[in-house]
Amino acid sequence: MMKDYPKAIVTRDGSSLLLRPVVRSDEEALKTFFASIPEEEQWFLRENLSDPKLLHQWIETLDYDYTLPIVAVREDDGTIVANLRLYRSKSDSIRHLAHLRVMVLPGYRDLKVGSWMILDSVKLAMDLGIEKLIAEFVAGVEEGAIAAATKLDFHQEAVLKDYVKDRNGRDRHLIIMVRNLCRDWSDF
Amino acid sequence: MGKLTIRSNCPPGFYAGLQLEEGLGHFSHYSSIIHKLEAFETIASRKEGRVTLALLEPNLIVGYGTCWYPDSDDRWSALGELMYEMGAVEVSRNFRSLQLAGRILEATLNEDFFEDKITYMCGFSWHWDLEGSGMNAVQYRQMMMKLYSRVGFREVYTNEPNIALREENLMMIRVGSRVTPEDQRRFRYLRFGIKQPK
Repeated sequence: MMKDYPKAIVTRDGSSLLLRPVVRSDEEALKTFFASIPEEEQWFLRENLSDPKLLHQWIETLDYDYTLPIVAVREDDGTIVANLRLYRSKSDSIRHLAHLRVMVLPGYRDLKVGSWMILDSVKLAMDLGIEKLIAEFVAGVEEGAIAAATKLDFHQEAVLKDYVKDRNGRDRHLIIMVRNLCRDWSDF
Repeated sequence: MGKLTIRSNCPPGFYAGLQLEEGLGHFSHYSSIIHKLEAFETIASRKEGRVTLALLEPNLIVGYGTCWYPDSDDRWSALGELMYEMGAVEVSRNFRSLQLAGRILEATLNEDFFEDKITYMCGFSWHWDLEGSGMNAVQYRQMMMKLYSRVGFREVYTNEPNIALREENLMMIRVGSRVTPEDQRRFRYLRFGIKQPK
């Protein structure tokens, strides 16, 4: 599956991007990427990859069996403009699930880069035999991502009310969205 | 079973006296793309149209592959004769698991002609025989990817509406050894509806 990368996409402004798995030599470019994500969004990261030390540790211990990080890289200058991570458990009981997290640089959010990243992850997940993709979004903060996921057939499975706090201490709902990947012929 | 033969580049006039095996036809959830011999005649008569047949000697068609230049109303025709479509590969329900599809593809692609072309295939799940194969769409997609990757194809992304309609749909391409980087770039942009790369 991974041998099919890189995969090229062209945004409507004519930028050519390559989607491919993260490699160790991406550390500097990822440092720049995470530093460019607005602080209010960094706040909600489960892993604080905007911290260079944690990023270094994360990239040094990457294991594609459990974490599949894909980046969208500008073909002309190598800038990372989006990052998607698929997380799989070691446990056999939930190995058929993957959690998805995606971040896109603000300047690329109206160019459907996030949608292409999610679509790529759906295809990758299908090819890996994953049956459900799960994405978590913070209500009132990640509305664009929620809209993109909805267009790609993710449905709202649950809302954890007042589950997370933002930087100002305000409670926010966490929205759990799920995409079922397994279909049989009767769907047609 | 009699002798099975793969015949590539079957010319116009070749099809009289042949028969389609009954596993190529109409079923409750699936219909063969080609179910009349005249269709082969038409394809073989097109400019650079190609028909490869899997024949149970002497005259029974148990599988086929067809390819052609894209139609003029097709997005890919914007790149003229650079683009060439693997239109259909199908094996009778009664002759599957014999690796005939792979052999049809190998025989079809075994020509220098393809080294100047970007050969592409579009896999639409609504054409797949999921009922007959016993697979779901995801499994069928994986089978298609395996089949075509063995003969040098790889998946690419596009916003072409029919392909984009379902995520299990796929476009795969084989880039001929003489296709220039500039032509590959033009094709990349065209996949996203941009005719003039910047």
